Amino acid sequence: MRKGLSYLAYGAAAGVLLVGASHDALRAAASAGNEKLAVFSEVFNKVRDSYVEKPDDEKLIKSAIDGMLTSLDPHSNYFDPKALQDFQSSMKGEEFGGLGLEVMMEGGLVKVVSPIDDTPAARAGMMSGDLVTRIDDTAVKGLTLKEAVDKMRGPAKSPVRLTVERGSKGDVKEFTIVREIIHVQSVRAHLEGGDIGYIRITQFNQEAYDGVRKAFDHFRADPGSSSLKGYILDLRNNPGGLLNQAVEITNAFVDSGDIVSTRGRTPDQGQRYSARPGVNLAQDKPLVVLINGGSASASEIVSGALQDLKRATLIGTRSFGKGSVQTILPLGENGALKLTTARYYTPSGRSIQAKGIDPDIRVLENIPDDLKGKVSSMGEASLAGHLKNGDEEEKGSDAYVPPDRDKDTQLEAAVELLHGARAETLRSPDPPAAVTSQ
Amino acid sequence: MIRKTGYLGLGVVLGAAAAATAPQALLFVSPSAYAAAADTYRQLNLFGDVFDKIRNDYVEKPDESKLIEAAINGMLTSLDPHSSYMDSKAFRDMQVQTKGEFGGLGIEVTQEDGLVKVVTPIDDTPAAKAGVMSGDIITAIDDQPTQGLTLDQAVDKMRGSINSPVKLKILRGAKKEVKDFTIVRDLIHVQSVRSHVEDGDIGYIRITQFTEQTEDGLKAAMDKLHSEIPADKFKGYILDLRNNPGGLLDQSIDVVNSFVDRGEIVSTRGRTPDETQRFDAKPGGDLSGGKPLVVLINGGSASASEIVSGALQDHKRATLIGTRSFGKGSVQTIMPLGQDGALRLTTARYYTPSGRSIQAKGIEPDIKVLENVPDDLKGKDDMKGEASLKGHLANGDEDTSASQAYVPPDEKDDNQLVAAVDLLHGVKHPEPAVKADAAPAKTDPPAAATAAPAAPSDPGQAGAAKPN
Repeated sequence: MRKGLSYLAYGAAAGVLLVGASHDALRAAASAGNEKLAVFSEVFNKVRDSYVEKPDDEKLIKSAIDGMLTSLDPHSNYFDPKALQDFQSSMKGEEFGGLGLEVMMEGGLVKVVSPIDDTPAARAGMMSGDLVTRIDDTAVKGLTLKEAVDKMRGPAKSPVRLTVERGSKGDVKEFTIVREIIHVQSVRAHLEGGDIGYIRITQFNQEAYDGVRKAFDHFRADPGSSSLKGYILDLRNNPGGLLNQAVEITNAFVDSGDIVSTRGRTPDQGQRYSARPGVNLAQDKPLVVLINGGSASASEIVSGALQDLKRATLIGTRSFGKGSVQTILPLGENGALKLTTARYYTPSGRSIQAKGIDPDIRVLENIPDDLKGKVSSMGEASLAGHLKNGDEEEKGSDAYVPPDRDKDTQLEAAVELLHGARAETLRSPDPPAAVTSQ
Repeated sequence: MIRKTGYLGLGVVLGAAAAATAPQALLFVSPSAYAAAADTYRQLNLFGDVFDKIRNDYVEKPDESKLIEAAINGMLTSLDPHSSYMDSKAFRDMQVQTKGEFGGLGIEVTQEDGLVKVVTPIDDTPAAKAGVMSGDIITAIDDQPTQGLTLDQAVDKMRGSINSPVKLKILRGAKKEVKDFTIVRDLIHVQSVRSHVEDGDIGYIRITQFTEQTEDGLKAAMDKLHSEIPADKFKGYILDLRNNPGGLLDQSIDVVNSFVDRGEIVSTRGRTPDETQRFDAKPGGDLSGGKPLVVLINGGSASASEIVSGALQDHKRATLIGTRSFGKGSVQTIMPLGQDGALRLTTARYYTPSGRSIQAKGIEPDIKVLENVPDDLKGKDDMKGEASLKGHLANGDEDTSASQAYVPPDEKDDNQLVAAVDLLHGVKHPEPAVKADAAPAKTDPPAAATAAPAAPSDPGQAGAAKPN
């Protein structure tokens, strides 16, 4: 398996694939006489010499690079040094000073999806569903989610004041919370109903595989684990991340076979990734994977492979459909380029680009009236400039997960399936293990 | 004539004369810019590096021309809203526009709800002769549906070589009657100047845009008016620049010179000495015989129109009636890029003779007169102006409010025109009278005013295409 990281996600970003310096020099030389580049230089110089005001060279070039990348697919972008740093720390699962809240935007206010266990927000008594209306002295109305999050973050030990509306009556509460270092956990796990190992991966950052390994340790440590009926791998609303993490995590459920292959224009972008024997952590226990319209990229590699290998039953709604691989190409002190360098193919050779993966059992969530129409993912096929994949592209799929576990129909369907309480049969690992007989 | 409404978004070219900039050496660095050179190289190298990585590693073989075009567009977008890259096709279109002729049908069109709508057929063109009417919806061109086409694409399909036929499918009226036309293309002159005698004693001249035809068109119009109105009855001129988005700088200078005989008309200032120029009136250029002059402006009068009205206002040669003008106080130069289209770059600001810049401010009329806007057009008739364009050149205290840009199709309803006629006839208004400093306006003793028979309205003056 190749070392070096390729990145797959549709939202924010990470990952590095180093390109040798000598290779670079060669390329620079090759383009020295490039005619098209000469046209660009000519325009750049004309602007520098003749524009009515003295232009900022750096801004000109950055706009040119952004313009050029925008003409490619929607997943290629330029990171200036600051953006690169943010990206890298998000991929490392790095810590930041904050409160420990998962938030989303609703009606112009910041809504708490959930406080993260054992963080200042949880200890202060913040609750799921709380609406944050003010952060220190700034009204949240009018801020973007990112701006609000930036205001809540800050150095550890510094205080922040939140005004919160709670419940249907909109009771106003004030909290003053002292920030701490928050560790973003990409994997959470628990025993579901005492006999199912539930693993949720929020994104494929550099700690994802370790998180999965720890989840299995946790299950094994539980006295009831010997009677485990199977596993649920929840990849809903997981936008993707690092390719190698997706491969490792798939390998935690299979012993052999291809996991994914990539194909680009150059031979070094063509790679085949196969399972190594002896690292299957799940052994033969049945597996259900939950996906929805927000499951993209690395999530689709994992679910596509597990579906093709007949290792898992997929429940939920059609996935996002991002079938391309990005590579981070460093640009020295100038940041880096995130460039789409390859498409990937599942073990059966299909590309899910702009199509997505259809679940084996389609189960919809009940979307509350006030969220209807707001919680669908439009999918890759509706992004301007997406890579084409034949005529049969698919757009749009539900991407809602109820915050209340009791209302989570997809999860419930997975539990029922593993308990043998559904009409559909559970896909069994190959070779077929004695299916859920107890 | 087919005028793309998009052009009214002030895609206006001033000063194409300066276009013949000598080709420059790559990476040219002037000695004084030595210190900055290293950083410039670094920036250009960064660009080259990214370009190479895309060429080598992108998942599909990229189209290098498209990459560079997108890069140039991206770079120019970071400048002011009037700097842009024209690919070879856009460059040709612009040349057609400034030259003022092309092979086509002779209709002004706009896009409404994704459909191509005829604003007006132009008199004496194939479209007018075939019976195409204002308000017609063009649903197919040569059997290809227009739904899904951009306005540019539809216009391109209608244009073509002279004597070639084109088939139009048209929906007409509330009943959506379907009509088929086959029309043979002809050379269409974009008439930039139209004129007629107003009220028997006023010379009315409308300039729709400043093309290469404008100076000659204006001379012809003034000759014709002089032959139609006896000199002793001639009360003066109305110069209508409403919704005129601008055009060529030299043409605007000629137009001013046709009304004044001396003094500065406009000056431009850029970063380089050759962008800094002063343009004066040539003695003997004045064709107006010193007759009083009213200039009509509104929120759609921009650029070259503002040079003309600003100069005539500063010279106290004209009284300006209407609403505040657009406020585009910059000059673009067209720089051809060999086979690859051209660069339209903002290279200077211009200043009126009194030294003011109207950039992002506009010109205030001497007498503000509003039109009555029909209910269904309310809110759509205002022009937001330069100050509200993203990335516009800043100019101190700006005026970001919108200014009216509606001209009623029927002359009888045209308050601004009526006010101009009244002013030239000496009909009393609470506002100041005609300016008479520079050009003593020999207002004839108010002849038993009023009751002059309304001049037959000229169909050619109607149908000013609406901006946006």
